[in-house]
Amino acid sequence: MIFSKFSSGFLLSLLMLFTSAIHAEVSVIVSANNANASIDADTLSRIFLGKTSNFPDGNQAIPVDQTEGAAARESFNDKVLGKNSSQLKAYWSRLIFTGKGTPPKESGSDADVKALVANNPNLIGYIDSSAVDGSVKVVYSF
Amino acid sequence: MLRIKPTLLVAALTATSLAQANDIQINGFMNVTVGVSSNDEIEVDGYDESMSATNNSVVGLQFLKQVNDSTSATVQLVARGADEFNTQASWAYITYSFDENTDFRMGRLRTPLYHYSDFLEVGYAYNWVTPSSIIYLQSNLSSLNGLDLTRRFSFQSFDNYVQVYAGRYNGPLYAGGEEYATDLPSYGIVMGSTFNDFSGRISYHDATLSLDLDPTGTRGLDQLLAGAVAAETFDVIPGLSAEKFEVDHSKTKYYQTSFSYDNGSTSAIVEYTYLDHETDAFNNSAAYMIGGAQRFGEATIHLTYVATEDELESGPSGILQKNLESKENSIILGARFDYDTGTAFKIEAERHNEELTAGAKGSVGVIYRAGFSLVF
Repeated sequence: MIFSKFSSGFLLSLLMLFTSAIHAEVSVIVSANNANASIDADTLSRIFLGKTSNFPDGNQAIPVDQTEGAAARESFNDKVLGKNSSQLKAYWSRLIFTGKGTPPKESGSDADVKALVANNPNLIGYIDSSAVDGSVKVVYSF
Repeated sequence: MLRIKPTLLVAALTATSLAQANDIQINGFMNVTVGVSSNDEIEVDGYDESMSATNNSVVGLQFLKQVNDSTSATVQLVARGADEFNTQASWAYITYSFDENTDFRMGRLRTPLYHYSDFLEVGYAYNWVTPSSIIYLQSNLSSLNGLDLTRRFSFQSFDNYVQVYAGRYNGPLYAGGEEYATDLPSYGIVMGSTFNDFSGRISYHDATLSLDLDPTGTRGLDQLLAGAVAAETFDVIPGLSAEKFEVDHSKTKYYQTSFSYDNGSTSAIVEYTYLDHETDAFNNSAAYMIGGAQRFGEATIHLTYVATEDELESGPSGILQKNLESKENSIILGARFDYDTGTAFKIEAERHNEELTAGAKGSVGVIYRAGFSLVF
């Protein structure tokens, strides 16, 4: 009995650990001064893949990435862009060498991206939802 | 105070030069390819029965400097194994952006002939070891000196662009392994559209071709012209006009259309091209490609069919053109392994069938290739 109690408790905590790791929510953010209220995943994907350079309201949109390997970036690439890092590399290599586009600028961690985005209404980035504050506005989360 | 000032200056200078160095975006690509053919009689990318490691090996470095908000400078240096790795500035151009959706470029640009034109040499961007030369013609026509204007626009979920260009190529053209001095002013328009996983491209190119033909010369097209002159003089082919075999300010039109699909794991492409020469020295030709690929984790398996066929002029010219008629196809089966970020290893086999080459029945052979493609 003791053993089974221990093991079910252990399993439960393990499960919770996994669940929290998987569900570390990521928020896509713009400056609090940006007029767009929400942006759907399709439009986000087009902005971050350089297919469009505009927010839904027509203003210029400049995407910024987190540093390669950051958890939020992996999650964003997977869930919003639907591509892994080598697929993205192949995608951008088609554009970089043709002058038709450059990947979003690598701009550091949650705090770095938040500070950049807060001060420029043309920027759009993503950060862990726990880092969101009043300087930025969440337009999408997953 | 006096001791601190120089330190500050050094710090400031260091910060500035670092910022400037960081400001130049450097990207590179490299393909290293080995290939061998089962049959010396077929002619594909210069491969023969002995292993070759240089024909399709390419290394490129691109430098991009954003000079100010609207203007950037790009230089791409490319060294090709087929040219003994002599470094060439394949591209060197200035981009002026009117706004985030409109770019004007001037300098040495890539001629946007095909779906894969813009990244034809960036092996990492596609699955083949080498794109088929049946549809993707020689690399020395791939650049021109001129200007282009690109406008991007979206409606609903369709993202589109229109590109217009005008320029001139001046340099060697290789036909049948022989060199001709070439002047080729051209202009064209390209329209592309993407919607979710689908994309389409349609383009039209108009060029005026002049070659240094000499009926007393020994090169293939010289002899063709000499043959046409003789045939006209001695009335061998009634009604033949030798003038039609000159290549002097002769119009060449090129049409291209492609349609592709890529959802990240499954991809497919169909491309069709048609080359229409005013001169009868070159046969008009149509080429098409149909291909698909499936990704399984880090491995991608792909299969492509490519074919080209000449269309002869009707009447007397066609009788002479028949001696140069070409019809060939290839089936390419290959695999790509993305074993680490920015690096791919590829292998493929191409069964090449020359149904007709120079008007006669050709030969069938298999070319095996393997290569690494890197981007950095």
